[in-house]
Amino acid sequence: MSQLIWMINLIPDIFWTLLLWAGVLSVIASYLLGKIPFVSQYKIPLRVGGVVAVLIGVYFYGVIANEEKWQARIRELEEQVKVAEAKSADTNTVIKTEVVEKVKVIKERAKTQIEYVDREIVKNNEVIKYVENCPVPKVIIDQINEAAKGVKQ
Amino acid sequence: MKHVALVLVLALAACTNVPIKQKFPEAIPELKEKCPDLKQIEGDKVAITDLLKSVITNYNMYYECSLKNDGWNRWYDEQRKIYESVK
Repeated sequence: MSQLIWMINLIPDIFWTLLLWAGVLSVIASYLLGKIPFVSQYKIPLRVGGVVAVLIGVYFYGVIANEEKWQARIRELEEQVKVAEAKSADTNTVIKTEVVEKVKVIKERAKTQIEYVDREIVKNNEVIKYVENCPVPKVIIDQINEAAKGVKQ
Repeated sequence: MKHVALVLVLALAACTNVPIKQKFPEAIPELKEKCPDLKQIEGDKVAITDLLKSVITNYNMYYECSLKNDGWNRWYDEQRKIYESVK
């Protein structure tokens, strides 16, 4: 079927216009020729051929109009897709920038907090006393580690 | 029968495909990163400060992961809206 469509597409649009007008003229001529003696024998083939040409011409007029409609739709969709792709790329950039920036802030905050623990908290007398006298029981550490493991998929 | 075949051939000749394919965008690689496992506390004698550092690390890991998850949701919602705007 695609070969047939391809072949039909090779025919210029003007051909169908000419065919339609030729058909109309043939039908008119078939009536006029009918009144001329000796020539009236051609009136039936002219009329039939004319009607067929009109039918085919009108059909392909419709095909051309339909094709134009779809081509316009394709252009409209191509434009929409282009706009959507640009918008999508912008959205990606915005989200990526935000996420990367926030992750950076979180990592920086974690680093600062741990540095603060190493620098200040460990020097706190109350903490020093606690660390010396009260090591965290292993059973508690095990439970914390167990909770940190989560559920493996 | 010949006429029916001819009409069918002509009718099918008028069929048109719209050769436009819209692609759903590729996700941001940063959002595809797997959330890391939470930090485990190592050693037999663990000081409260080590426990504290581990808690800080894990809390921040959670927030990082949560941020990426929110980013995914936002990315999907916005990209879907854009994708569906093409009609």
